[in-house]
Amino acid sequence: MPEIIHERRNNQPVHRVSTRILTRRIIFTVTAAVAVLTIIGLVWALSPIVLPFIIGTLFAYICTPLLNILTRRGIPRGAGILLLFAVFFIAVTLIVNQLGSFIPDERDRLVLRTRFQFKLNERYQQYMGIGAPGQKGTFVYQYLGTDLDEFMENINGMLRLNKDEQELFLKYREGYKGRPPIRDQYYEYFQKNIERLSAAEEHISADRDKGGGAAIGVQPPPSRLSSMMAGIKIWIITPLVFLFLLIDDGEIKRFFIGLVPNRYFEVSLAVFDKVNKAIGNYLRGILIECSLVATAYIFLFTLIGFEIKMAVLIGLFAGLANAIPLLGLGIAMVSGSAYALIAENVTSVLPFITADNMILAVAGCVLIVMMMDNGIFQPFVVGGAVKLHPLAVFIGIIGGSMMFGFAGLILAIPTIVVVKEMVFTLFSELKDYYII
Amino acid sequence: MANVMTDQADNINKPVNPFWGSIASKFKFARAIDNAEVLKLCPIFTHLSNKELKKVSALIYERSYQAGEYLFEKGQPGTAMFIIKTGLVKVIVPGHESEAELATIYPEDFLGELALLDDTPRSASAKASEKTEALAFFREDLSELVDTYPAIAVKIMRDLAIIIGHRLKASNELLMSRGQ
Repeated sequence: MPEIIHERRNNQPVHRVSTRILTRRIIFTVTAAVAVLTIIGLVWALSPIVLPFIIGTLFAYICTPLLNILTRRGIPRGAGILLLFAVFFIAVTLIVNQLGSFIPDERDRLVLRTRFQFKLNERYQQYMGIGAPGQKGTFVYQYLGTDLDEFMENINGMLRLNKDEQELFLKYREGYKGRPPIRDQYYEYFQKNIERLSAAEEHISADRDKGGGAAIGVQPPPSRLSSMMAGIKIWIITPLVFLFLLIDDGEIKRFFIGLVPNRYFEVSLAVFDKVNKAIGNYLRGILIECSLVATAYIFLFTLIGFEIKMAVLIGLFAGLANAIPLLGLGIAMVSGSAYALIAENVTSVLPFITADNMILAVAGCVLIVMMMDNGIFQPFVVGGAVKLHPLAVFIGIIGGSMMFGFAGLILAIPTIVVVKEMVFTLFSELKDYYII
Repeated sequence: MANVMTDQADNINKPVNPFWGSIASKFKFARAIDNAEVLKLCPIFTHLSNKELKKVSALIYERSYQAGEYLFEKGQPGTAMFIIKTGLVKVIVPGHESEAELATIYPEDFLGELALLDDTPRSASAKASEKTEALAFFREDLSELVDTYPAIAVKIMRDLAIIIGHRLKASNELLMSRGQ
């Protein structure tokens, strides 16, 4: 209860808050302001470690109920933490190894760009009716041809190999760095791309002068050891955060609650607990949802004839992106269609799917996953816990990616959800406790 | 109580590690034993072993109140039970003009135990009459104990049920005596 000093001045009552309370309020306000500014400054300055830190926290959140189950089964807490840490470490190592083998290397990237460029132009000519000599093009092409040609030229500009990359492609064609020679079919694509773009030779040299395109093979690649060390330095934080948060056993919470004035003690406990539960449920739910979506994509893409390697890569990426409402579907559609565009010799379990209609099959897969997500995964896994306005989603994604790049893009929505939950719970509890 | 005191004495007589000993014994460990000792005297925790008390004391929040400060107020949702370590607390029902005093809570007594069951509003306010130190036991920590150490939670719940049962009987008897 606030200490109010009642005085009378000129026969009028004067209510004055005691000096002690005033001093306390000033100290709390200044400390809170300094703490908030320091946190913002630290987050900004340490942005490279924000992602590893958040991932460590996320895994700790997910593992806390598992740790409780282990403790309940009679396994000492310390042993449970060690067990979970070991599982986490092994899982991360396996995932990184597997993903590493799925990510295309220098040779594969050159081949992919060549294939994609060739197939894109082939499909464009096919759909626009301009493949054979003398063809005037479809109705669409006759109206929008100039703009579409310009658009395609821009895409070609991004995909085309510059002189150095072409030389590298030719080296790989013969077998280079112990890699198998590039297939004749892709060499044929390469030659056709060169022929098609011979008219744009000036463009290529201009690009080279500007340093456009990834100059693969020109600059000496950074030392493997130094890049590995740089990665380890940042990502070592993840297992450490994970470990310390599991070991913590409520000490951090107790420390912060200890700072809270007596008047707000119970309300702080209630807010902390409700927010903690809501965030934990949301994060666990979203992770399970993303995993289910990724599994569904991998299964369906494999079913329609994607190479398993590509189905896993695209499925995982689309599953991860599913944490972002709307954008996840877009990413799945674009990356799936891009692969469908270059797919050849499709051997689908479903006989009616061919290379020509694979894009439609991808659209069908995305539609099925969307229905499964909306109809089954979200209601049963995430629940109706957190709904965000599309504008908040849009601004969050743009703002997050501008501030923290890819990490910001992925983490923007969970962060908004956490802040929203904290603010709503805080105000609701403050009202319940008659504080506001 | 005697057991706890003996344990504490044993721990004090142990040779102190020059580094860890100075940190652990002076701060964390000493605090844990103190709280465990107070908890042991509280009827809700009477049936817990020393090891179990140590686990519970790790969940306790220590709060310090000045005279006139409220531990909780009537009408607010309850989230924690308070055990008085030192000082004096009065349980009051505030009225328009004055407040009715229901009880005085002394060291080792507890109050607000119904908050361990649900968050229904407090039926009275608790105000420190002098400088008071209290230990708060949070409802959600009890719920977590149910998940992690059900044996401890069951003992606490059973004692809580017994205490509430006794109070109900006492209230009934009081009502009956007033009726007669």
